[in-house]
Amino acid sequence: MNFCRYAALRRQLLIDPQVLKNGSCSPDVVMDNPLSQNPDSMWGRFFRNAELERMVDQDLTRLYPEHGSYFQTPGCQGMLRRILLLWCLRHPVYGYRQGMHELLAPLLYVLHIDLELLSEVRKVYEDHFTDIIDGFSFHENDWTHKFDFKKLPEYMEDCNGSESPVKINSLGELEPKIQTIVLLSDAYGTEGELGVVLSEKFLEHDAHCMFDALMNGTGGAVAMAEFFSPSPFGGSHTMFPPIIESSAALYHLLSIIDSSLHSHLVELGVEPQYFALRWLRVLFGREFALEDLLVIWDEIFAYENTKFNKPGTNDAESNVGVLNSSRGALIAAFAVSMILQLRSSLLATENATSCLQRLLNFPVDVDLLKLLAKAKSLQALAVEAINSTPLLILPRLHGRRNAGFTKAHIPSLDLTSPRTTLNMAHESYWEERWRVLHMEEERKQGSAASAEKQVPNRKKGWSERVRLRLSRTKCDPFRSKATFRKKNETDEGRKNIGGDVDFGHKIPAEVEEQDVKDTNFSTSETRCSSGCPGNEENSSNISDLSTPVRGTNDYVNMSGRSSVASNFSAEENDTDSVNFEPLQANPESSPLPVSELDPDDDTLNSTQNYHSVIKQAAGIKERKLLSDKFQLFWKFGRNINEGTSDRAAVSEDAIACDSGSDCNNVAGSSIVNGCNSTSGISKAEIIDQNLIFSLSDLGQSMLENIQVIESVFQQDPDQMGSLENCKNAIVGEGHITAMAALEELRKISNLLSEM
Amino acid sequence: MVLVLALGDLHIPHRASDLPPKFKSMLVPGKIQHIVCTGNLCIKEVHDYLKTVCPDLHIARGEYDEETRYPETKTLTIGQFKLGVCHGHQVIPWGDLDSLAMLQRQLDVDILVTGHTHQFTAYKHEAGVVINPGSATGSYSSITYDVNPSFVLMDIDGLRVVVYVYELIDGEVKVDKIDFKKTTTSNA
Repeated sequence: MNFCRYAALRRQLLIDPQVLKNGSCSPDVVMDNPLSQNPDSMWGRFFRNAELERMVDQDLTRLYPEHGSYFQTPGCQGMLRRILLLWCLRHPVYGYRQGMHELLAPLLYVLHIDLELLSEVRKVYEDHFTDIIDGFSFHENDWTHKFDFKKLPEYMEDCNGSESPVKINSLGELEPKIQTIVLLSDAYGTEGELGVVLSEKFLEHDAHCMFDALMNGTGGAVAMAEFFSPSPFGGSHTMFPPIIESSAALYHLLSIIDSSLHSHLVELGVEPQYFALRWLRVLFGREFALEDLLVIWDEIFAYENTKFNKPGTNDAESNVGVLNSSRGALIAAFAVSMILQLRSSLLATENATSCLQRLLNFPVDVDLLKLLAKAKSLQALAVEAINSTPLLILPRLHGRRNAGFTKAHIPSLDLTSPRTTLNMAHESYWEERWRVLHMEEERKQGSAASAEKQVPNRKKGWSERVRLRLSRTKCDPFRSKATFRKKNETDEGRKNIGGDVDFGHKIPAEVEEQDVKDTNFSTSETRCSSGCPGNEENSSNISDLSTPVRGTNDYVNMSGRSSVASNFSAEENDTDSVNFEPLQANPESSPLPVSELDPDDDTLNSTQNYHSVIKQAAGIKERKLLSDKFQLFWKFGRNINEGTSDRAAVSEDAIACDSGSDCNNVAGSSIVNGCNSTSGISKAEIIDQNLIFSLSDLGQSMLENIQVIESVFQQDPDQMGSLENCKNAIVGEGHITAMAALEELRKISNLLSEM
Repeated sequence: MVLVLALGDLHIPHRASDLPPKFKSMLVPGKIQHIVCTGNLCIKEVHDYLKTVCPDLHIARGEYDEETRYPETKTLTIGQFKLGVCHGHQVIPWGDLDSLAMLQRQLDVDILVTGHTHQFTAYKHEAGVVINPGSATGSYSSITYDVNPSFVLMDIDGLRVVVYVYELIDGEVKVDKIDFKKTTTSNA
């Protein structure tokens, strides 16, 4: 039986090389000497074993000190050591890892307790033992016996609880559990029939078998050894070790059950394997006292361990390997219920370390039965979760490879969003929150930029890049809408601009988008701005907007930045809406329904923004993008003011070109070249200084902007001399827009100066 | 399973520059528990190197050693065995078994490790074992021709010692093994 196998193994692998040499004619001394470098030599093996033993001993000395009366005895330690060494030698792939001893210890403990109890029972009911004999067929080599055996601990637990031996007279009065023990015992044999299953002599062998079964999973899915393996699970697609996969599965399950907690944890950067590693590797052995642990293990082992087979899929697509059984599902469910137990304290903390502290120091006084009940209820859900879409989790892990929790944050957002509608709403909400959180970062980054042409595109902070990514995801849907809208426009100029290729920009689609948005925005701005005389920011924005500038590079830059701007727009929802309100400009009608904007305007509240986002979709978003662009331009304009020196020359032209023009300019996309040249988006500056500036300053800055723009015009080799000439002699279609924008700018400046 | 390394007569730097590389590659720290050295290292650097191989180092003074504070003879107990170390130039005639046996009885040891002849020998006699590990660097000796680098590794396990002899012959490491058992009453 397995006893023999174990004994043979023990003899073979743990024996001294010297003793072995006695028997056999030692072959090649050159190979087998102690200093031999040869890895196959017996001595090499000996040294490796010695190393392994050292590691095992290190762990064993620290095993369960609170139960030291049993675990620290040399007999028990010797057994543990032998079993562990043997298993590790048989499975050199895994070697010995810390935690294996903690899986083995409870098994040994259970066996030991059973033996003790048995001997106690025997002692008490000695007279009864002789009476019971036949009629019982006993299954030898029956695996089920081994598993049933694991349920015995449950009985034993109860028995341990009520230790008082009862004096009874007849068999019938015995508790049924003790009855079975008694019935199974036999006067014959070393320890009776029960001795085959539960015997002191073979305690070690039994423990080894159980441990082996636990680690191998006996053909089922949950093989504990996998948790210790550093290499990816055989059948899985991913390159991650199974423990990582399982941790990901845990989080996946958590996200289904309680997505707010999940997103909170993810946002803080608490990766599941930080705590799940310990939980899973020792099957929660370190989180609970030994007695509680045995109860938990009973539950876990009671569940079937057969692998799930997703119908219709081949193995290549299969599931999160290790937890892929109902037992695995229960393990996952139990872990999740543990996390949920700590829900309130986890949600309360705002940094990762305290979260982890909470998770790693699981409270002792926890109602175990409640936890178990919850786990069982979640188990069905876990089964479904594990069967469903685990592979999607895994790409997220790529995000984890890099630093920064923002990075981890984003992919998880991506993944959770397509999952359920519930998650969808949450995602948007969290995106908003997160973007708001990062606005400050953005501003700081922006303010640090210098007057460099390239700086706008600069070293984009990670948050920016991410936001870019996010915004792009947002931009895409209404890119088409924008183009659609564009087609509805009747303005020739706009259409021309849309189709214009002279600018050489490489992203015509975005250009169009910008065009339209700018248009929309400008109109809306004009409408909204009527109320506020003092909002130089907006007017500046408009003025900037109205000054189209040519330049291919800048165009491209700007288009790139427009998406960034769109980010800003989303972020700046609050401020934008505020700004919209007081915007004063030419109260011209716009083709777009701007009224929608009004309800948004008085909301600084992000939730309202959220609603607006959801409600008005592309329209709102466009407007916001526009608003951002305006602010962007304005910033550039301000920077230009600080940076350029051609004002004088430009100012003349600016004055000369003063004329009323349509506010509705197209060229939004035609970006302020000069603005580009400067860079530095310092929104923070803008917004903060919003209230500080006086009108005159505003007018001045506008004029300067105009000057700069015109200087740029002049720099352009294809440009004509003055703006008036530009008006008349249209070389390229872009000039029209440039002109129109400039005119508008002037008009606005006039208005401002009048006020 | 205690591994004891016995070597000596390196004569670094006077007659040899270093241990043969093959020997050096074998002497990995962590495997050996004790080193007994017959002497003539000669300089401190060699002492330090041996210390890295094993921190438990016992040296007897050879006539060319620059460190004057090594003892003439040294005894230590490992497991069931008593070991004695001496360089051997004090025992005249050099390399004579009977004289060495006299020294062994004087020191009252089971295993006597001496050097000076730069020649590996291992004698067993009624009082015990006399081992000469030779010269680990194969340095010149006026009394021995054709010196091969050699050293000895003793595996002491209970009442039994296995002596592995490592010799570098024609660039190849040759290993030989000798078993000695100690009887409780007498050394046989």
